[in-house]
Amino acid sequence: MYLKKSKSVGASSPLNGIGKQDWDSRRKRKMGEIAQALSVTPVDVAALRRMAISEGGLLTDEIRCQVWPKLLNMNTDNLPEKPAADLRENHKDYHQVLLDVRRSLRRFPPGMPDDQREGLQEELIDIILHVLDRNPQLHYYQGYHDIVVTFLLVLGERLATVLVEKLSTHHLRDFMDPTMDNTKHILNYLMPIIERVNPEVHDFMQQAEVGTIFALSWLITWFGHVLSDFRHVVRLYDFFLACHPLMPIYFAAVIVLHREEEVLECECDMASVHHLLSQIPQDLPYETLISRAGDLFVQFPPSEMAREAAQQHSQQTAASTFKDFELASAQQKPDSVLRRRRRERAAAQAQAQAQTQAQDMAVARPRARRLVRLAVMGLTVALGAAALAVVNTALEWAPKLDLHLFP
Amino acid sequence: MESSLELTTSLTGTYPPLRTRIFKIIVIGDSGVGKTCLTYRFCAGKFPDKTEATIGVDFREKVIEIDGEKIKVQLWDTAGQERFRKSMVQHYYRNVHAVVFVYDVTNATSFRSLPAWIEECRQHSLGQEVPRILVGNKCDLRHGLQVGTEVAQKFADSHSMPLFETSAKNPDDNDHVEAIFMTVAHKLKSQKPLMLSQVPGDGGVLPLRKSEDEDEKSWSCGC
Ligand SMILES: Nc1nc2c(ncn2[C@@H]2O[C@H](COP(=O)(O)OP(=O)(O)O)[C@@H](O)[C@H]2O)c(=O)[nH]1
Ligand SMILES: [Mg+2]
Repeated sequence: MYLKKSKSVGASSPLNGIGKQDWDSRRKRKMGEIAQALSVTPVDVAALRRMAISEGGLLTDEIRCQVWPKLLNMNTDNLPEKPAADLRENHKDYHQVLLDVRRSLRRFPPGMPDDQREGLQEELIDIILHVLDRNPQLHYYQGYHDIVVTFLLVLGERLATVLVEKLSTHHLRDFMDPTMDNTKHILNYLMPIIERVNPEVHDFMQQAEVGTIFALSWLITWFGHVLSDFRHVVRLYDFFLACHPLMPIYFAAVIVLHREEEVLECECDMASVHHLLSQIPQDLPYETLISRAGDLFVQFPPSEMAREAAQQHSQQTAASTFKDFELASAQQKPDSVLRRRRRERAAAQAQAQAQTQAQDMAVARPRARRLVRLAVMGLTVALGAAALAVVNTALEWAPKLDLHLFP
Repeated sequence: MESSLELTTSLTGTYPPLRTRIFKIIVIGDSGVGKTCLTYRFCAGKFPDKTEATIGVDFREKVIEIDGEKIKVQLWDTAGQERFRKSMVQHYYRNVHAVVFVYDVTNATSFRSLPAWIEECRQHSLGQEVPRILVGNKCDLRHGLQVGTEVAQKFADSHSMPLFETSAKNPDDNDHVEAIFMTVAHKLKSQKPLMLSQVPGDGGVLPLRKSEDEDEKSWSCGC
């Protein structure tokens, strides 16, 4: 509707080696199914989620304009007019936003005339400042602009503004805290997921002490910062919009796992592994990786990983050097130290509770497992399950995941 | 290049002579001062045509030769935005051999932030012997100058750091950016003991003892 760049994505088969005609007819059928899901009242959101996740995603930007709002449970009949207030200059993040947007040239289609691009950059600044101004609890982070630009390019300014606001108070909420502690916590899911699938890769990375910062920009920009082909970016956004807010970290794990051989051949030190992993290959088999991420989500759901992620955190704390401790006490005002200790105690209690609960559940577990296995056998079914999980939890997503999941 | 894998296990107390030494340098300063452009220019030899905001930490490296010895210079280019520093960047201060502070000569605020960056370093317990330098960037923008050489030099002196003014962009200064990092590398090479290999599992900053006492004043931060 706005820029037609990503339109052609579905025209060729997203899965290599599958006949073009075959894909063409499936694509047509899918478009029909999407139209059908949109035409009923109320709109069949569950079906739309499945479409957004399954092969090829939402196919065109025209469809995205209609479906993305539905995936966020939004009604876009009465869009607010462009706000008149000039938010520039007096917003605290104005200079940082300006700086980041000005140097975001790579996010725009290569052939775009300068004046058109500059107009869009101004709109980008307006959207960001508008959302921040209306939600003082949200804090700008470098990379937020990479997400917003994707919505701007697909949806246009007015629609993008309302969607981005909703997204910012849900999926992106944790990244927009005053500090990045919750973001760091989400990154803590990465290694436990990798360990479940490939302990060797996990151990190698642990030994290299590579950390998880190589995946930071992946997570907080939904890969918008690192993928150069816009079609791949919007395809991933279809997927993430339809899924649980933690899905990007599963996708990050899947990318690392996909590069297993390269990782294991790499020199086992922080710099080499960080360097290798932060350079994302541009020719990834996206459809395969998306379905694999969906599988992993079903097999190792966040509720299961939460405990390990939290443990990883407490292990880090326990294993920290005296220096670290000193550092923490020097940096933090006493009251915040106390508050943190209280939080940690609460977390530990919740953990202990969760463990007893897990023991109680041990009997029920194997059966649940078997059900999951069955679901995983058929890809569509598995993704449907992932989508269902989403319907139930995504919009109630809260930052203190570990605590909320084990009340 | 020699393989270093088989050597990494024997790294207790002595350093393996065959291993390519690694100099790890962290580059810090306010957002937009040109850290990414400076590190890019040193490693790729040119000004990047499109830079982007740095998210978290970026890594660049270049192999240089000093007195016939090949040395790997690793530059850790960090995000300037405050929120990334507290919980994200910490990890990358480990085993750092030198620090490059950058400000923008056309932006007085970036200069005024320097004490905060020096304080961040201090909080990461970098030893006094870790060389620090101060770089004023964007000298090609003569008209917008906000931080004069004198005041910058005074600041650098008070923190016992050498000052370099340069431009990552201006082609005339091509050698200059290179020269700055080479100066740091020479400095590191002259230090003893030469324990500049990364030891897996070592949590602290590797001690680099000074070789010449008279160097102390101009290289180590007096904070
Ligand atoms: N004129 C001029 N511009 C520069 C120079 N170095 C960087 N810039 C520009 O300053 C902006 C920020 O640079 P960048 O390297 O991304 O800053 P960082 O945030 O410190 O990494 C970019 O638009 C660069 O093009 C320089 O030496 N001269
Ligand atoms: Mg940068």
